[in-house]
Amino acid sequence: MIEIIAASKCPRCDIVVAPPATYCPHHPVAMTPATLPGIGEVVSFTTLHTPPTGFRSPLHIAIVELRGGGRFVCHGADTRGLKIGARVAIEAIDNVYYFSHLGAMERARLFWRRTGHAGDRVNAIARSLAKRVWKGRQRAAS
Amino acid sequence: MQPVFVAGVGMTRIGRRSEPLPALMAEAAHAALAEAGLEAPEAIVVATMNPEEFVGDGNFASNVATHMGFAHVPALRIETATSSGAAAVYTGFAQIAAGLRRTVLVVGGEKMTHLATPKVSEIIGRSIDPYERTYGVTMPALAGLVTRVLMARQGVSAREIAQVAVKNHANGARNPLAHFQQAVTVEEVLESRMVADPLRLLHCCPISDGAAAVVLSAERATVRVAGVGHGADTLAVRHRRELTSFAATRAAAREAYAMAGFGPERIDLAEVHDAFAPFELMSLEDLGLVPPGTAGRATLDGDTALDGRLPINPSGGLKARGHPLAGTGVAQIVECVLQLTGRALTRQVPAATYALAHSIGGLATNNWVTLLERA
Repeated sequence: MIEIIAASKCPRCDIVVAPPATYCPHHPVAMTPATLPGIGEVVSFTTLHTPPTGFRSPLHIAIVELRGGGRFVCHGADTRGLKIGARVAIEAIDNVYYFSHLGAMERARLFWRRTGHAGDRVNAIARSLAKRVWKGRQRAAS
Repeated sequence: MQPVFVAGVGMTRIGRRSEPLPALMAEAAHAALAEAGLEAPEAIVVATMNPEEFVGDGNFASNVATHMGFAHVPALRIETATSSGAAAVYTGFAQIAAGLRRTVLVVGGEKMTHLATPKVSEIIGRSIDPYERTYGVTMPALAGLVTRVLMARQGVSAREIAQVAVKNHANGARNPLAHFQQAVTVEEVLESRMVADPLRLLHCCPISDGAAAVVLSAERATVRVAGVGHGADTLAVRHRRELTSFAATRAAAREAYAMAGFGPERIDLAEVHDAFAPFELMSLEDLGLVPPGTAGRATLDGDTALDGRLPINPSGGLKARGHPLAGTGVAQIVECVLQLTGRALTRQVPAATYALAHSIGGLATNNWVTLLERA
């Protein structure tokens, strides 16, 4: 179950950026829409122990280079055992991207690290689970 | 182009200060003006990164000018995130070089220790790409991401990075205006609290209050501004291919060396933007001060120590002198001028003729290199 991630491509230098941008960061030309598969390699990662207001510690952050070239900043459940170059999957929930395949419990813990309304968080977890089940069925049907 | 000289410098003690920001800036500015023998400058350039958020005041150039008795001197404010001070020096330099002014007071400073660390982190973090920020990415987080690649791909060792902090603390211990005036050991650095893995607390510069000022003049003085360069890069770190070298530093250095008509081989000492210890190693290579891949070794060998071949951050750098954001770029020029005029007390670099100041704005989106020469 690989996510398709919306991106944009520069017609002049072919750089792919995600999320999509209006103009290429390197050239004053309009970018064209593109998509990227949600899998790639870890470029770097860190665990932030003093996150800014609005986030809880420890906060796991990675830069992932997607197959097709675009780089992405995302959250993860843990960075223990992670290595630069490791292959990970990316999944979006409420427009926030998380790397690696995660179990339901790990994802529940992740949502709790972002402070917000409890109702929103539970809602997001439920939708994420429903999405997995739905995609699993689709795969089984095909 | 009109030659530009530094007629006077001034700086407050950097650290936790109780005075309001305009008072700190006035202290530095009046010291610089007194040294220049000038009652009033023709124009003022003020650098503060974010007074709206840190102290709740806007229109800050007028605020500061009025506070120090120059309500009728034209003042403007310059901002390029953490390199605002260097950008202000450039603005003053450009006014004189263009023949628009004969004397310009440049004053930079920040006041932040009155706020809690997560709040300060968040405000500084607003200079990061808005999308990346929605992930809780802060400056230490980005620096942690850069450092991990530096260690994994370039083979830079934890000991080499720690030695930068050890050296700069040793220098700060000789600077009576530094935020930190005590030495630290490699072990203390390596055992300090983890901030953004693999970056630890003693790899990071402190949150500081303080201000620094320089008076630039068309009149001949002991130190001349030989060249200024400005380099830029993408706001979003994810839009860059390269993480272990800053294109904005390389571009700024190229421009500054071209203007000055000399290269890195002439530099006797440098003030380098070590907001995070590994940045000093990267910057030494980006500035051409050491060959690629050798900054860590040179640091361990003592080449960049006060008594080494090329002293780096004799003031203590951002690490030990402290980092009052927009004050830093000006404070670096102050240190270079003190060194070039033989007034750097027990941290004096002998017979210094050429000095370099390097300032990073944001995560290297707006970098500056300023070259100074004993005229």
